[in-house]
Amino acid sequence: MRFDIFYEEFITKAGYKMLLEGLKNTAIIAVFALLIGLVIGSVIVLVKISPFNNWLFKILKVIGDIYVALFRGTPIVVQLLLTHYVLFPLMDINLEPVVEGVITFGMNSGAYISEIMRGGILSIDKGQMEAGRSVGLSYMQTMMKIVLPQAIKNILPTLGNEFIALIKETSVVSFITVIDIYKAFQSIANSTYEYIVPYLMLALVYLVLVIIITMLIKLLEKRLRASDKR
Amino acid sequence: MIEIKGIYKNFGKLQVLKGVSCNIEKGEKVVIVGPSGSGKSTMLRCMNLLEIPTYGEVWLEGKILTPVDPYLHKDIITKSKTFKQLAEKERSENSGLTDEEISSKIIAEIKKNDLLKKYEGREFAKAVKELYKSNYIKTNLARRKMGMVFQHFNLFNNLTILDNLTLAPVKLKIKTKEQAEEKAMQLLKRIGLEDKAKEYPSKLSGGQKQRVAIVRALAMEPDVMLFDEPTSALDPEMVGEVLSLMKELAEEGMTMVVVTHEMGFAREVASRVLFMDGGIIKEENNPKEFFTAPKDERLKEFLSKIL
Ligand SMILES: Nc1ncnc2c1ncn2[C@@H]1O[C@H](COP(=O)(O)OP(=O)(O)OP(=O)(O)O)[C@@H](O)[C@H]1O
Ligand SMILES: [Mg+2]
Repeated sequence: MRFDIFYEEFITKAGYKMLLEGLKNTAIIAVFALLIGLVIGSVIVLVKISPFNNWLFKILKVIGDIYVALFRGTPIVVQLLLTHYVLFPLMDINLEPVVEGVITFGMNSGAYISEIMRGGILSIDKGQMEAGRSVGLSYMQTMMKIVLPQAIKNILPTLGNEFIALIKETSVVSFITVIDIYKAFQSIANSTYEYIVPYLMLALVYLVLVIIITMLIKLLEKRLRASDKR
Repeated sequence: MIEIKGIYKNFGKLQVLKGVSCNIEKGEKVVIVGPSGSGKSTMLRCMNLLEIPTYGEVWLEGKILTPVDPYLHKDIITKSKTFKQLAEKERSENSGLTDEEISSKIIAEIKKNDLLKKYEGREFAKAVKELYKSNYIKTNLARRKMGMVFQHFNLFNNLTILDNLTLAPVKLKIKTKEQAEEKAMQLLKRIGLEDKAKEYPSKLSGGQKQRVAIVRALAMEPDVMLFDEPTSALDPEMVGEVLSLMKELAEEGMTMVVVTHEMGFAREVASRVLFMDGGIIKEENNPKEFFTAPKDERLKEFLSKIL
């Protein structure tokens, strides 16, 4: 184990800049993917659990099922490779690799989040929807104002886990040439032939990141629970 | 005010309502009693379409809420292909009968054996559509006129008490936020809970929750109030406060339909008591006759158990 070699490369030769770049990309991808995932997940779940049964919704429900099956049925690396090397080139779309990462991870987590949200919504007492309908609110109005807010609060811990999973999974974006935390340490390892310290540091950075986020989520939950008891 | 006509309700294979008809006049207080599982809640929920009847119609103030049930309309049945064919046949085989006799005979046969098919010709379809188009009211609009109180209160858990009362009137643009809040505070004051306006439902006792649920329905200024066992989930000491609020409403002339096991309330407040058993209304009468001189055997048995 040679700390001096690592130190030389990381500090003196400014390898930390790459780490900062990597952290930034990891954060961008995880945060925006979560936001996109929430939007996509909500849309899918609203279609899936909607009581409407006309042909339009029947088709939409099938599309939703296929979407979820596709994104849950293939590894995220494969999805990334397909987006970067197959889909976007075929469609003549030229985007920054980070943006491609955001899109792919967002669509992927949309599939997972839709399932999480489904559980959350089904856990809300049917009486809440009935009460909303009985005062004349529409299904959508009751869903948005009454059911979803309660469901989202219930699934917040699970969404937190999804976010943590996202952070960890971003470690594969280097497959499509994005510089992330992994890439930063790998390049140090490759240029110094000293592997032990960089990869230990890599693990440490992820661990610290996840611990910090876990604490933030706990704090948020506590806040929410406190607001409950106002 | 509310008219339900020939309602059937099936849940899959289970027949819960088997032909219920009932007319609730303005100002009436109708109490529905009956053994567990007899279909009382289902009947009540059919009135505001929380359950959609399998057959039959629900009318509110002269407007139809459900699809048209052709079996309930003789003039529509006579426009069907099935009717025309049967009438033709009858006429050739049985020329002794008048047209009117033939008509009523065949209508009875069609009703009895569910003979109407999905497509009964253009004239029939047009008659159904016309009846509907000239009389329908949208479900959400109809529900505004019918307040509903549930056994388990169903207050909106994510909203304050005040917001529970103002959400619908504001969201449906019936009132401005200020108007709705003013009205809500009046209502809360009436039940002595104005100091709880900013609290969440989890902070209230069962009796308080149910009284808030009642005024939440009143905030929509409904024409009729439906109650489904409003005191069944309450601790005994809280039943009184809810019943007395309901009595107040009754005295003010509110039209009420109440499913309850509180026979004292029925006796005191009801203008009519219905006994449901096995998915039909077995007996109905004014409370005095209902309790002192029941005719139906099942009702006698029911009363002897409960009183
Ligand atoms: N959504 C539903 N799906 C399937 N079965 C149902 C549904 N709602 C009610 N039932 C069944 O219909 C029957 C009548 O139910 P209902 O709730 O109308 O009875 P009730 O007279 O109100 O009884 P209780 O006094 O117990 O409230 C019961 O056997 C019940 O299990
Ligand atoms: Mg019931």
